[in-house]
Amino acid sequence: MASNPALFQSPTLTEALDLLAAIPGARPLSGGASLVAMMNAGLVEPAALVSLTRIPELRGIRVTADGGVIIGAATRHNEIAADPRLCGTAAVLPHAAAQIAGMAVRNMGTIGGAIAHADPGLDFPPALAAAGAVVELASAAARRRVPIREFFVDWYATVLTPGEIVIAVHLPKPKPGVGLYLKHARVSGDFAIVSVAVSLARDGEAHVAVGGCGPVPLASAEADGIVSSDLSASALAHAGDLLTALANPVDDVRATADYRRLLIPRMLARALNDCMAASRSVA
Amino acid sequence: MSEIAPIVLNVNGAARHTTALGGDTLLTVIRDQLLLTGAKRGCNQGVCGACTVLVDGRPVRACLSLAGDCQDRRIETIEGLGDRPVMRALQQAFVAAAAFQCGFCTPGMLVAAFALLADSRLPSEADVRRALSGNLCRCTGYKKIVEAVLRAAHALADEAVA
Repeated sequence: MASNPALFQSPTLTEALDLLAAIPGARPLSGGASLVAMMNAGLVEPAALVSLTRIPELRGIRVTADGGVIIGAATRHNEIAADPRLCGTAAVLPHAAAQIAGMAVRNMGTIGGAIAHADPGLDFPPALAAAGAVVELASAAARRRVPIREFFVDWYATVLTPGEIVIAVHLPKPKPGVGLYLKHARVSGDFAIVSVAVSLARDGEAHVAVGGCGPVPLASAEADGIVSSDLSASALAHAGDLLTALANPVDDVRATADYRRLLIPRMLARALNDCMAASRSVA
Repeated sequence: MSEIAPIVLNVNGAARHTTALGGDTLLTVIRDQLLLTGAKRGCNQGVCGACTVLVDGRPVRACLSLAGDCQDRRIETIEGLGDRPVMRALQQAFVAAAAFQCGFCTPGMLVAAFALLADSRLPSEADVRRALSGNLCRCTGYKKIVEAVLRAAHALADEAVA
């Protein structure tokens, strides 16, 4: 095994960011669900680890004066799955969180760690794309905000620069409506073969995104525009075709690329039909 | 700037001094230094659940937890749970239902089931399957394991009524 990295536990965000800036090759560590697995597999050998788990401002969910929701980067999946404030159109997030891996991993993994890892099979990226999230980033030098649909740039790659971390996810004020995350996987808790995330407001505004079908979640303003104005079978088919055209899936142990493309329009239609049925039962 | 050393862990109610290094996982330390070998190293990737332990009462993967990050947390392994009524009921039910063959997954199954029954005393079969969905068994099959957990839940409920 490679040399054992030093582990730093920073009580403050400022200290953590200073350490990440000062130590070349240092990696931020949150829940460990992805980073420690990669260390165990010998895929990464961090020079040092800067633990973010004891920084209070990175933990928890709060609602702002304008009704928006801020989720600290070190908030764990199970906390998100169980938070009643993530309701209406924002319910897509807890619905996705509840389908991540198994109970023990949901007790460890954090939303900031998950999206920084940017595995295309993860559940949060499409859910956040449907929820209209904005990601807040910080380094020792600066803070900035990036819309989620611009945050992911390639396989396992994001706009994060060395020394920069995710500190929070911002959601717009949830609207009355429904949020739903439909996941197709080989077994419970596995990475998605294809997943579809939907936020459907009672006023008709809809946002959709697809996971597991390329380096970044599939989403487009055009597809959102279609499903916001028309939920007929032909409109859903058209939106499904648009998203399928954006797909760049791979053949892997879980499914072929062709199978994934085949599933996109079918799962999109099913997810939106499930949303409509849920709206009716709420109304 | 606080680099961690040496690492002291609260395991099964006792402070345990270790010589763990920063990158050592909780699983490595409890197995190789504290010689608590109930938690198993299966996949070492967080997939199989054989290493499940409780941290602050909640099931986590010991293989994905760094020991240094678990200081000041309450760590409970299968070895520390044996005297608890919920675990006794589970052990008896696993024997009665013949819910193991090789036994490699059993400690993780028991810890995950313990956390479930500590939270909800009469789970449905679906609840049990969901709670154990992150624990793999490669020989018994899940039917008898689920049956055992439900049997334990009912035994505990009967005890509570009696």
